[in-house]
Amino acid sequence: MPQNSYQKPLPAISSLNKPYWDGLRNRELMLQKCNGCGMIWAPPSPLCPACWSRKFTWTRLSGRGRVSSWVVFHQAYFRSFEGDLPYNVAEVELDEGPRLLTNLVDIGNDAIRAALPVEVVFDDVSDDVTLAKFKPRAA
Amino acid sequence: MANFALKDRSAIVGVGESAYGRKLMRSAIDLAADAIVGALDDAGLTREQLDGLVVSFGSPIGADGDTLAQVLGLNLRAYNQTWAHGRFTGSCIQWAALMVNAGLADAVACLASVSFSAVRRPMMGGGGDREGGREAGGGHGEDPVFGMTSPGAGAAMVARRYFERFGADSRALAAVPIAFRKHASMNPHAIMREPFGIDEHQRSRFVCEPLHLLDYCLINDGAACVIVTTAERANDCRKSPVYISGMQPLPAGREEFIWSYPGMGIAQQSVFEYQPELQAVYKMAGITPADVDALFTYDAFSILAWIALERWGFCKPGEAAAFTQNGRIEVGGELPMNTNGGLLSEAHIMAWNHQVEIVRQLRGECGRRQVKDASVIQWANAFGDSIVYRR
Repeated sequence: MPQNSYQKPLPAISSLNKPYWDGLRNRELMLQKCNGCGMIWAPPSPLCPACWSRKFTWTRLSGRGRVSSWVVFHQAYFRSFEGDLPYNVAEVELDEGPRLLTNLVDIGNDAIRAALPVEVVFDDVSDDVTLAKFKPRAA
Repeated sequence: MANFALKDRSAIVGVGESAYGRKLMRSAIDLAADAIVGALDDAGLTREQLDGLVVSFGSPIGADGDTLAQVLGLNLRAYNQTWAHGRFTGSCIQWAALMVNAGLADAVACLASVSFSAVRRPMMGGGGDREGGREAGGGHGEDPVFGMTSPGAGAAMVARRYFERFGADSRALAAVPIAFRKHASMNPHAIMREPFGIDEHQRSRFVCEPLHLLDYCLINDGAACVIVTTAERANDCRKSPVYISGMQPLPAGREEFIWSYPGMGIAQQSVFEYQPELQAVYKMAGITPADVDALFTYDAFSILAWIALERWGFCKPGEAAAFTQNGRIEVGGELPMNTNGGLLSEAHIMAWNHQVEIVRQLRGECGRRQVKDASVIQWANAFGDSIVYRR
């Protein structure tokens, strides 16, 4: 087996979301920010979902946020996740507003709490793809 | 000013279903034929009088509507089918009501038919997950990259959020599947008929925590169909019409998430104190929630019953946990819900089985689980659509 044979599902990279994935490769959590109304949003859009301006800037975010909700999978829908059971998936509300789905690392599933302060960590899962995961941080 | 001219202008005149079962060894098309033929017979209508078809939960998982029209030899003036999502049940009936009143069709069969046992797994969540592959995670808010797959995971995310926000827990939530199983125990057509209690609920394995296996609906085979026509034509049918008195369509947007109401703070929803004013469906039907004799909702996961109760104003946000205790949502209680046993215990026919049950309740055909003097029954969902039916 080649060393980089990552078996889990990989993101579908499109013209819309490519800057997000390129950002993660460069250790930057980037989302679109509207040049007009200032909204920062996810998931990527062709225009600002608030004011419909097409003038936006891919902007580096703080990488900080809080857990808004979470679940723990006890059943694997992909064989590649079987070895991780039970594993968590969380929604993290970024300080800038948008929520991202992610996995929390460096924490036991039983220790996860609502509003837990977290910060981004970059997980290089393949030569081309880096995932934004989150770990606890001091408040 | 809203125009409610279609109040009571259309009706369901016939209902039909196939057998329901875990593994019937019959195709979705085969099962659909039972439901359509049964519904036409129930209505006293002939195949020639059927000129409209709306297939819910069609391709690629359910019965394909094009195939149905071909193999059943239907001659349709009006036809449509939806993406394979259970959310469109109410919408299909609403479209049919609009079509018959616009003169685009005289009698419309609306149905879903599934043979999940024949679908190559995994169908939702897993390698073939078309849902999670949608650019914004699809309607269930999935993201396979992080192992966030299956419709139930989104519901579990809502349940956790709800528990944390309002201080409820899984033991309180158990009241919902326990009630619906009691109803199923009085329904010979239901797949799961053995009653259970809180401890058994708590002992059932976690699928996606905080939801247990008994918080999840069935995965099964079966078909259910209703026939919609105008109020005028309904008078010529075999049985008493069940009128479509109020309609509220399915909302979508950044403030909506399939398994929660606005303000819950799931996906990209804002966070605020949701306070429903009197929803349009009540204004159209000329009623309030207090007039509803029984409530039916899309119970793919137990938490959805709580969300629906709060979304539609049967109780305030955070109160559904207490509201659903002590038999209040059981037959004989103040607000019976899903008297057929629901998706949780009767069968998962995308809640077309619920529409069949609503009609039979309003006709007084439900035997031991009959809601006494039922005259107004509401279909209302966590995801925001509704129909008020009356006899």
